Amino acid sequence: MEDQFSHNVFINCPFDDEYRELLCPLLFTVLYCGFTPRIALERFDSAEVRIEKIRQLIEESVFSIHDLSKVKSSKKNEYYRLNMPFEFGLDLGCKLYNPDKKYKNKKSLIIEKERYAYQKALSDISNSDVKCHKGEPEDLIIEVRNWFSELGFKNLDSGSSIWDDYNFFYTDFYDEMVKKGFKDKDIQKMPIPEFLDHIELWLSKKKKSSKK
Amino acid sequence: MMIMEKTRVHIIKRESGWAVKKEGNLKASKIFDNKEDAKQHSQVYKLKGHDIIIHKKDGSIERWERADKKAI
Repeated sequence: MEDQFSHNVFINCPFDDEYRELLCPLLFTVLYCGFTPRIALERFDSAEVRIEKIRQLIEESVFSIHDLSKVKSSKKNEYYRLNMPFEFGLDLGCKLYNPDKKYKNKKSLIIEKERYAYQKALSDISNSDVKCHKGEPEDLIIEVRNWFSELGFKNLDSGSSIWDDYNFFYTDFYDEMVKKGFKDKDIQKMPIPEFLDHIELWLSKKKKSSKK
Repeated sequence: MMIMEKTRVHIIKRESGWAVKKEGNLKASKIFDNKEDAKQHSQVYKLKGHDIIIHKKDGSIERWERADKKAI
């Protein structure tokens, strides 16, 4: 269990359809770099209290990625989203106040779409180092890969090659699904745990073939 | 006789434009400012028997152009 803690990455991000084009490459990158993404979408149980699930994910993860892009509404009458800053606060609270010493090692990446936009909504973290992905999957992959590197993890492939591999993975995944009778809508709306299984299988095949 | 499928060629979004890249190669064969030029360039590979995979900006599939099998 302790070993899993040191590999788990809590993913705190929007879960809407628009963000899925970033979420999928993000999950791919975390797995590609050798870590395990932990996300509230990893299991669905209507009876489970959401905040309890979030607490568990935070306590089981030494790393966390918080995408605070949605602190700003993008159109008229749209509410800005408070879940992400709230869950970031819970994660930070766990590091600061939990008496268990292992939580002092927690490391976070805060990322957003527009540089410095978060400062207007969450000025308490204005001195924190925040990365920016500009809404581009390739930039997001590069920032996440570089964060792992900055944490001291070695021998990581370049962000650009991870992005290219994501495109190759998606091609194989799409081909397999179409052959099984899946339509585009089935593929686009595939539950995250099932999608994660496909990524893991593809990465393990890649690893095996590169050893030959 | 077994017919070997040729490597797929991908059109992938890059910060600097759109890359045409053969699977397995370390580098893109060429990067274009716009997607249309990349698609046009990729037709050379299609004629040589390669499938062309045109990706959307999020990496998912926009179109899969099957190779001219006579060329394989």
